[in-house]
Amino acid sequence: MVAREERYYRRRRKAGRLLTHLLMICLAAAFIFPFYWLLISAFKAKEQIFTLPPQFLPHPWLLRNFVKVFHETNIVRAFYNSTVIAAGHCTLSVFLCSLAGYAFAKFPNAPGRNKLFAFVLATMMIPGAVTLIPVFVVLCKVHAINTYWAMILPGAAGAFGIFWMRQYILDSVHNDLIDSARIDGCGEFGIYWRIVVPIVKPALAALGILSLIGIWNNLMWAFIVLRTDDMLTLPLVIYLLNGELRTPYETIMAASLIATLPLVVAFLLFQRQFIQGITAGAIKG
Amino acid sequence: MSSAAARRNSLRSRIWRHRHFYLFISPFFVLFGIFGLYPLLFSFYLSFTRWDGLTELTWAGLGNFANLIHDEVFFTSLWNTFAIGVLYVPPMFIGAFIFAIILNTTWLKFRAFFRAALFMPVVTPMVVVAIVFILLYGQEAGLINYLAARMGLQPIPWLVSEQWSKPAIALLLVWRWTGYNMVLMLAGLQGISHEYYEAARIEGAGAFQRMWHITLPLMRPIFIFCSIMSLIGTVYMFDEVFVLTQGGPGTSSTNFGLYLFNVSFVDFKFGYASCMAYTVAFFVFITSLFILRLRRSELT
Repeated sequence: MVAREERYYRRRRKAGRLLTHLLMICLAAAFIFPFYWLLISAFKAKEQIFTLPPQFLPHPWLLRNFVKVFHETNIVRAFYNSTVIAAGHCTLSVFLCSLAGYAFAKFPNAPGRNKLFAFVLATMMIPGAVTLIPVFVVLCKVHAINTYWAMILPGAAGAFGIFWMRQYILDSVHNDLIDSARIDGCGEFGIYWRIVVPIVKPALAALGILSLIGIWNNLMWAFIVLRTDDMLTLPLVIYLLNGELRTPYETIMAASLIATLPLVVAFLLFQRQFIQGITAGAIKG
Repeated sequence: MSSAAARRNSLRSRIWRHRHFYLFISPFFVLFGIFGLYPLLFSFYLSFTRWDGLTELTWAGLGNFANLIHDEVFFTSLWNTFAIGVLYVPPMFIGAFIFAIILNTTWLKFRAFFRAALFMPVVTPMVVVAIVFILLYGQEAGLINYLAARMGLQPIPWLVSEQWSKPAIALLLVWRWTGYNMVLMLAGLQGISHEYYEAARIEGAGAFQRMWHITLPLMRPIFIFCSIMSLIGTVYMFDEVFVLTQGGPGTSSTNFGLYLFNVSFVDFKFGYASCMAYTVAFFVFITSLFILRLRRSELT
């Protein structure tokens, strides 16, 4: 009697789990679908993108769209620009945040340390929308509009990055290590560079990824500060194609695939670091 | 006198001894001064002026604020922002929480795959997302309307009607941000100690009671974080609307972020835009404080 009841419950639980799996598979399919659509549209002829009924596979698979992108837009240059800007911004941001984070974590007796740190935290409250115009004006004044610096510098030393690096360094770098290095005659920057940086590498990677997602996909600021054809980034190239007459969707899809792949592939390879970068703020903050 | 001098002296020597501390944090303060503090003050000043960035700046007093109160598009944009938020935040939150709970179970297979599938939209350029959705939303040849027609439904004029432009944006936002919130909530769930649940089970608490008395209260900080991120994200949202609808048809999907951009960099009304940004930032700030208050008052 009892065994029968238990069997019933077990079967019910099994059915529930199977159902949950089915639900999750449908859901995952719905979330992946736009990527699938992007992928196949990039290989379709223009007419095929709009045929009814919709075609779920290109017929035939064409590389023509990619050839067109290379001929009609400056996408190679844009890819280069995006890469330089992303590399510059991420490197600078990771370097400055970890350096300041180290200072706030490991110089407990520096006069004014707590007040300065509170100040850093308070700057997180400032919304970017309020400072948008003056930052633009400042960049105009120093003739930095339409340069990489206009993308790289603002926001390179974020309060959030400093806060998080400080937390991480407090938890993972032992004072003994720093003290013994100091006794051995290691300079302060040497301690940061040779002792702290190797230990906090995972956090550096996560922070770098966080700023990479922001800068690689940035559209608005790029739209405001980058002006000439040779300075465009990938999102800008796509945006401008979209604004053309008789929108060339086949070219846009090919360009979009080129712009999307680097981060999606990087995410699939380094999932753990990506997730860490995203969650760090919420858990500790 | 001499003791004060000695104290000053010792402070100076303490500062000198910690010179590397100041050196290491100085890049932040330099950059913040240029791209944070100065803009903040300058923007405040601009709020009381008229300026297009090129010609002479003129003092406007409270003129900008007076104009703001009578600016219909401004209030429309606030209403649209609110409406889009109401349309997308609840489904996104509930969905993210349910999926986080499912992904937190031990028996689910392909967990990494599901998490990756839901999270992928977050790393995709918004402009790409928006253009793919333009294709999917197409009036005649869009896939969604094709499927709707197959099921015997009327085609939905997603991007060309004033009623549907906001839901179209909301649907895109749900797709884009559910995974982000899910990942945050999942991290929160994983941070809850098993001991609580075991103790509750020994006490005979059912699944519902465990959820109500353990999971929800302990998840409060994450919910608050997600709420504030959603609030800020919705008010200052730009890329999505800029590419998908340009705020139209009419002003039916113009949200605050887009309107602020238009006033700033299309009309070049720097003074008026600053006034608008400051006013809204003030209310967003107050709302954030109110949300943060929830955390404290309920815990103590």
